[in-house]
Amino acid sequence: MRSLFAPVLSAVLLAAIATPVVAAPSQQVTSLRRLTQAEYRNSVADIFGSEIEVRGSFEPTIRIAGLQAASTSTLSVTPVGFESFTQMADSIATQVVSEKYRAKLPCKPKDAKAPDDACSRQVLDHYGMMLFRRPLTSDELKNAANLSAKLAKSQKDFYAGLRYGLASLIQAPDFIFRKEVAVPAADKSWTIEPYSRATRLSYLLWNTTPDAELLAAAKSGDLNTAAGLDKQVTRMMTSPRLDVGMRAFFNDMLELDTFDTVSKDSILYPKWSSTIAASAKEETLRTTIGLALHDNGDMRELMTTRKTYINRALAADYRLAFPFKGDWVAYEFPADAGRSGVLTQASMLAMFSHPGRSSPTKRGVALMDIFLCEPTPTPPANVDFSAVNDPTGPLTVRQRLMAHASNSACASCHTHSDPIGLSLEGFDTIGGVRTEEKGKPIDVSATIQGKSFSGAIGLGKFLHDNPKYPACIARKMFAYSKGVNSEDVTAASFKAGRTAFIGSGYKLRSLIKGLVEDPAYFTADAPEPAATKVAASK
Amino acid sequence: MKLDRRFFLRGTSQGALAVMALPFLDCFLDSKGKALAATGRPLPSRFGTYFYGLGLTKQLWIPKVGGTDYEMTMELKPLEGYRKKLNVFSGLRVPLDDNPNYQHWSGAAAAATGISPTKQSEFDSKTIDQQVADVISHGTRFKSVSASAAGDPKQSYSSLGGPNTLPAEASPLSLYTRLFGPGFQDPTKGDWKPDPQIMVQQSVLSAVSESRKTAMANLGAADKARMDQYFTSVREAELQMAAELQRPDIQAKVTIPDAPGEMVCNNALPNLRATLPLMAKLGAMALATDQTRVFNMSVSEPGSQIFVPGDSLGYHQSTHEEPIDPVLGYQPRVAQYNIQNMELFAAYLKEMDAIPEGDGTLLDHMLVFAFTDQSFAKIHAVDGLPIMVAGGGSGKMKMGHHVAGDSSPVSRVGLTIQKAMGVSLDSWGKGSMEIRQPYTELLA
Repeated sequence: MRSLFAPVLSAVLLAAIATPVVAAPSQQVTSLRRLTQAEYRNSVADIFGSEIEVRGSFEPTIRIAGLQAASTSTLSVTPVGFESFTQMADSIATQVVSEKYRAKLPCKPKDAKAPDDACSRQVLDHYGMMLFRRPLTSDELKNAANLSAKLAKSQKDFYAGLRYGLASLIQAPDFIFRKEVAVPAADKSWTIEPYSRATRLSYLLWNTTPDAELLAAAKSGDLNTAAGLDKQVTRMMTSPRLDVGMRAFFNDMLELDTFDTVSKDSILYPKWSSTIAASAKEETLRTTIGLALHDNGDMRELMTTRKTYINRALAADYRLAFPFKGDWVAYEFPADAGRSGVLTQASMLAMFSHPGRSSPTKRGVALMDIFLCEPTPTPPANVDFSAVNDPTGPLTVRQRLMAHASNSACASCHTHSDPIGLSLEGFDTIGGVRTEEKGKPIDVSATIQGKSFSGAIGLGKFLHDNPKYPACIARKMFAYSKGVNSEDVTAASFKAGRTAFIGSGYKLRSLIKGLVEDPAYFTADAPEPAATKVAASK
Repeated sequence: MKLDRRFFLRGTSQGALAVMALPFLDCFLDSKGKALAATGRPLPSRFGTYFYGLGLTKQLWIPKVGGTDYEMTMELKPLEGYRKKLNVFSGLRVPLDDNPNYQHWSGAAAAATGISPTKQSEFDSKTIDQQVADVISHGTRFKSVSASAAGDPKQSYSSLGGPNTLPAEASPLSLYTRLFGPGFQDPTKGDWKPDPQIMVQQSVLSAVSESRKTAMANLGAADKARMDQYFTSVREAELQMAAELQRPDIQAKVTIPDAPGEMVCNNALPNLRATLPLMAKLGAMALATDQTRVFNMSVSEPGSQIFVPGDSLGYHQSTHEEPIDPVLGYQPRVAQYNIQNMELFAAYLKEMDAIPEGDGTLLDHMLVFAFTDQSFAKIHAVDGLPIMVAGGGSGKMKMGHHVAGDSSPVSRVGLTIQKAMGVSLDSWGKGSMEIRQPYTELLA
C-alpha cells in the first residue's frame, strides 16, 4: 500500500525516531465531517466543472450551540441520505463520461469499446485526488480501476466502465466525509497532517475542496511551514472566492437557513412572499460580506450601519420607492428611519417572530445567542401563564412579558433575553416599522446588564460596544472551521484570532489570518489509549 | 433454488454480467410466478405512524366509558367514520424517571421509543417504526418512507436513535418523485420487468462496501459508529436494489396517479388541508404497491406551529396564552385547533381506507400509531397523552375500543402494536416504562 503522507512526514518521522518509539500509532482520524449541501455542490463544481448538474436531496443538518457546522461532526449518513448520494454520484459520473465532456478527460482509450486500464487509472487518479483531497492509495485506485475494467468489458464500452469507477469514488466515504488525520509530531504532541490542513483551510476560506495549488503545497510539505502556510492563506484570502467561504460562515452564524421554514400569516401580512424571504437573506449576506471583505470595515458596524443592499421585493417590504434599474442596489437608510445594521433587517426581524406577530422573546433569545454567544436556558415546563393572560383588558406584548418578572422561575431568563427583543418592538413580524400596538405607543426602552438604552439604535450601540460581540464572532469562526461545539471551545483556543481581530480594528481578514496562522491551530490531542491500541495493532 | 446476494455478486464480479443477466431474471420471475400462483397468500404487514402536535383537551376528548360503546366526544367527532377501525387510549402514564421534561419532546419520544429521552430532539433508541420495519420490510424497495405535510424535512419522527433522524419528504412532489419517479417499475402494469441497470449498480455498491475495513481504520469510537452507519446505509441500498429485481406481489386495485405540481408547504392550515391528504394518498399507494411497508406521516412538529391565517397567536402560542374560559372550563380556541387537527387525521385515514385490497381496504390490513407530544400543552404535561391506533392489521388487533385510564405506561401501546405486527420481543421500553404485558384483550 502506497503511503499517504510519505514525502511530508519524513521530517516529522525523523524527529519521532529520535525519541524512544514503542509501536507508536501512525495516525488517528481526529475529525470526520459529513459534507454540507453547499460543500458538496461547490466541490463537484470545482472538480468536474460548473456545467455538471447536481440534482438530489441532502439530509438536513441540525444546529448545535449556534452552528450547523458542529452537527456535521455528529451526523452520519442514513439510508435515505445514502440513497440520494448514490444516485447523485451516478448522475455526476454519467455526465462526466458523456460525449460532450470527454474532451476534458486527461486521456482517450485506445479503443472506446474495450477496457483501457492505463487510461481509466489516469482518469481515476486525477479525479480521485481531488475527490478524496489526497492521493488515492494504490488499493483505492486498483479497486476503482478494476470495477471500471470489469464493467467496460461486460458493457463493451470504455466510458460506461469509467462511469461506474468514478461513481464508486463519488459515493465513497472519503468524499462524502471530510477527514482530518493527525500524526505524531516531534514533542509527543500530535499534528494535523498536510492534506487535512489543506482541506480545513479550503472549506473555511472557499467552502470547497482544495485546489491543485493547495494540494501541491500539502504534497511538498510547504503547508507545514509558517512561510508556506502564509503564502497559501494570503493567496486564498486575496481571491474573490473568499466571499463564498465567508458567506457560508455567516449563513451559518446568522442562522439564515432558518428562513427555509419561515412562514407568515397571509391575511395579516399579505405582502410577504417567498421572494421577499429569499431577498432578505441575500440582503443580510450582501451587507455582511460588503462590510467585512469589500470595504474591509470594522465588524462592529454590522450592528449600527444604515448602509444596505435592496432589490425591488425588499423595497416593497421596507415601504421604499425603488426607482432604480437593475437587480440589487446599494441603499442607505436615512438617520431617522430607526434602522441599525443587520439587527433591523427583514431577515433577523422576520426569522425570529411568529407568523402573525413579532416575538420579543424569540428575537431576544436568538440575538443573545448569535451575537453574544449567550444561550438562554429553556423555560421551566410547568409555567403558570395566568398572570400573563388577564382576559379583562388588552395587554401589550411588553405588559405580558413584564408579568413574567413576577414569577421568579421565569424572571432570570426573561430579564436575560427580553430587553433585546423589546427594544426591537418598533418593527413588525416582516420587518416593517410601527409605532403603536393596540392603540398605545410602543415603548422600546430596555435595560440589560446594567445598561439602559432605547430602540434598535440603542441596541445597536449596546452590541457595537460590547466586547462579547467580537469575541463571539471569533469563537464561532473557530468552532465553525473545526466543526466543533462552540460552547466547548476554550477562550485560549481562539485567542490568537481574537487578539488580531481587536488589534486590527475588528477587520474580519485579520481574524481569519490570526486564527489559521496560529501555530496551535493545527495541533491535535493525542489519541485516547484505546484508539491508540487499535491503531498500533494494525 | 435459493438465490442470495453473494451468489449474485460473485456472478457479476467475474465480468460475466451480460451473459449472466438474462438467466438470472428468468429465475427471479419464475420463483416469483410460483409465489403469485399461490392464491390466498396473506398480505404483508404494513405499519404507519402519524404524528400530530400539542395533544387534545382532556375534558373534550376522553369518552366517559371504556370498551366499544363509548360516546364520540367533541374532539374525537371528526374520527367518527372510523370508530370501528380505531382504538383510543386514555390515561396513559409517561414516567420520565430522572430525566427532565423536555418540552414538546419527552412525550413524543416516550411514545415512539418507550424511553424517557435524555436529550432534547433526540430519540434514545430506534423509533417504533424502524423496529417494526426491521421485521416486516424485507424485500421492499424502501425500508420506510417518511413525509412532512408542513414542508420541513426535519419534521420526521422516524429515527435510528441519537441525532440520525431519517429525513422526511417535504412536499407532495418530492414524495412522489422518491416513490414513483426514476427507478420505479409499475407493478400494476402488465409489462413489468426489472431494469438491467440495477445489476450494474449493485456491483458499484459492492465495490463501495469493500472499502469498509480501511474506512473504519484509525477512527475514534464515536466516528467509528458513524462510519458503521454509513456502511449500514450502503447495505440497505443493496437490499433496495435486490428488491427492485422482483415484481411486488400486490392485491390492491390502484392506478399510480400523475406527478403532483409544486405546492406551498407550510404550517398554514389551508395549505395543510391540501398537502396532507395528497401525501397520505401517495403513501397509501406506496403501501398498496408494496414499494414500502412502513409509512410515517407528520402533520407538524411537536409544539405545532399550525396557524389559521388571521389568528396572530396560532396553535402553539394559543395553548400557552389563551385563558381557560371560566364558564366552559377549557381553552376554546385551542379546542378548535384540536378539532381541526383531528380532521386532518381523519383526512389521512380516509386515504388509507380508500384503497380496496383483498377482502377490505388498505387500512384494514395495516396499523397506524398516532401519537403526540403533550397531553395538556398549556403546562407541557405528558401524563394522559392521547394515543390512538387505527387500522386492524389484517385482524391481528381488535379495534373499536376505548381503553380507558388503566394507568399503564404509554409503552404498553407500542408493545401491543409490535406483538400484532409479529415483532418477537418480551418487553419494550426502559426504566419505569419497561413493560412486559401487552393489551392481550386487543390481540387476536
